[in-house]
Amino acid sequence: MRNMWVIFKKELFRVLTDKRLVLTVFILPGLSIFLIYSIMGEVIGRQMTEDEIYTHTVYAKNMPESIKHSLEERLTFELMEGEYDKDTLEEMVREEEVELALFFEEDFEDKIEAYQAGSPIPELIVYYNQGHQHSSTAYNQFMGVMNAYHESIIRDRLADPDDYHPYLMTSENFLDERTVAARGIAMLMPMLVIIFLFVGAMSIGPDAIAGEKERGTIASLLVTPTKRRDIALGKVSSIAVLSFLSAISSFAGILLSLPRLMQFGEEMPDMGIYRIVDFVAVFAVLLTTVIFIVSLISIISTYSKTIKEANAMIMPFYFIAMIIGILNSFGAEPNQSLWVHFFPIYAPINALSGILMFEYSVINLVITLLMNLVYSGLMVYALNKMFDSEKVMFTR
Amino acid sequence: MDLEVRNLRKTFNLSRKQRRIEHTDEKRRVAVRGLSFEAKRGEIYGLLGPNGAGKTTTLRCISTLIKPDEGDVFVDGKSVLKDSMGVRKNIAFLTNELKLDDFFTPNYLYDYFSRLHGVDEKTAEKRKKELFKRFGVDKFAEVKVADLSSGMKQKTSIAISLVHDPDFIIFDEPTNGLDVLTAKTVVDYLLELKESGKAIIVSTHILSVVEKLCDKVGIIIDGELKVSGTLQEVKAKDAKQDLENVFFSLVEESGGADRA
Repeated sequence: MRNMWVIFKKELFRVLTDKRLVLTVFILPGLSIFLIYSIMGEVIGRQMTEDEIYTHTVYAKNMPESIKHSLEERLTFELMEGEYDKDTLEEMVREEEVELALFFEEDFEDKIEAYQAGSPIPELIVYYNQGHQHSSTAYNQFMGVMNAYHESIIRDRLADPDDYHPYLMTSENFLDERTVAARGIAMLMPMLVIIFLFVGAMSIGPDAIAGEKERGTIASLLVTPTKRRDIALGKVSSIAVLSFLSAISSFAGILLSLPRLMQFGEEMPDMGIYRIVDFVAVFAVLLTTVIFIVSLISIISTYSKTIKEANAMIMPFYFIAMIIGILNSFGAEPNQSLWVHFFPIYAPINALSGILMFEYSVINLVITLLMNLVYSGLMVYALNKMFDSEKVMFTR
Repeated sequence: MDLEVRNLRKTFNLSRKQRRIEHTDEKRRVAVRGLSFEAKRGEIYGLLGPNGAGKTTTLRCISTLIKPDEGDVFVDGKSVLKDSMGVRKNIAFLTNELKLDDFFTPNYLYDYFSRLHGVDEKTAEKRKKELFKRFGVDKFAEVKVADLSSGMKQKTSIAISLVHDPDFIIFDEPTNGLDVLTAKTVVDYLLELKESGKAIIVSTHILSVVEKLCDKVGIIIDGELKVSGTLQEVKAKDAKQDLENVFFSLVEESGGADRA
């Protein structure tokens, strides 16, 4: 095992003292995620503020005062002066010169009030352009006003206002706020975890093994009195540590960008809802999962002749993991069946969801951890054999 | 105990691409057929042969990088098939297919391989000073391998291959890429190692090096050892006692004058 540590330290030294690798593996992932999410938050926030302060241009013919007042409460707008025909306004709305054009029939409100069954219904024509942001906002706000107006008219027309309510309903929501927060976290985290761990391992693994084959440096290692098991363990453990650090960098990027991303109303996830035992369980799943992913990537890298070939062969596995992660984020409840916990990749994502939503059984968690370790152990054993195979190491 | 190669046979599968390039239908190629020779302690054995004759394959089998299909190699009584770890502990192997990682300095790599060979720090440090000074590596010990010339890399490789002071030294083209002065240093050092009782196998194309260095010579053509014996015995195959003549006549006999 002594040589395993020698190889472990050398691999760590190789990456941690290479400025280029430190930048690309540990700084850029976190930094780029931070920048992308911050910019996203900034843009969304700016757009919302802009909608609030933007003065919309509205043309309104015969608009009742009550509707005008209601609209003023919801939308900043300026009414166009003058008379225009419908064709001109249609053109103006299309060209974004006017955001909303409203044609109320003359005496609109009076006609509604004087309505008798069978009498003509007053007409309202609305021009807007959903393809344009401000026009769409103006229309949505106007519809909000009109829906409320519509409701009040219906209520007034009924003989007894109580008739408006065909039944009385009392709803009591017993939802635990902790569960709401947990659901939000459980939707996002497992998917991100699996993606970041894969990306971290992919940025180091192929270079550490396929790269050594490509550069011809692996043979120098193979002629030393180092057990193939030590080479396999040394490589896997060092890549696992580095991948973990890379994943942490990505998480740091997300956590730092959350305040900017969530500035438009969403609540920041509160990690304080979890107990220490939950964090320990998450850490155990992460640790065994990173070992599994790194073992898988190491096998592929050892089989490949070049870094390029290794990356191409890893890609389908990455996509599979990503798809499982994305499907999980669509809100399915954690699967409690025993048998699903034997499936690599799926089981840890499911287990993470379960832990984060406080819905996991110890036996399922133990199976997930054990299976990750068993699969990793089998792959390290295969790696050991592959390092000893001249066909894999030299003639492939 | 010495180094003994016994009835060594090694074949390789030919890939479709190789078969297409070489216009052949054969699926397997015999690289080495029934090779046997012995390198004793205190002797240098020179392996001569044209390109593709099977020299490197033989050396790779001895160094445990690949396994023979038939036969065996015994290093100090240890079989490469049954005790490859035991063999690796006591051999130095140098060939141009063993590259140094560009990112590291000779200093770092020397320490790294010392640790892998289990050399204690004090001994490793003392030996490093000695070897680095001998081959002039001390002048660029802290320069990354990527920035070294091919000669500097070769000197570093030689020094690193000897970190553990092995009893059996297998060098494939050791003077490759070296200037005349450094080549002489390497040759002199090999002679010193021989004097100190090491068994050395050298593969080279340079006949003058063989004449200066080797006690025994084996000429390998098409995977077969055509002649093996002391330098004098091999030279005696030619009327003029000329090693070059012996070499070329054996190559011609095998119908491959163009490949030497």
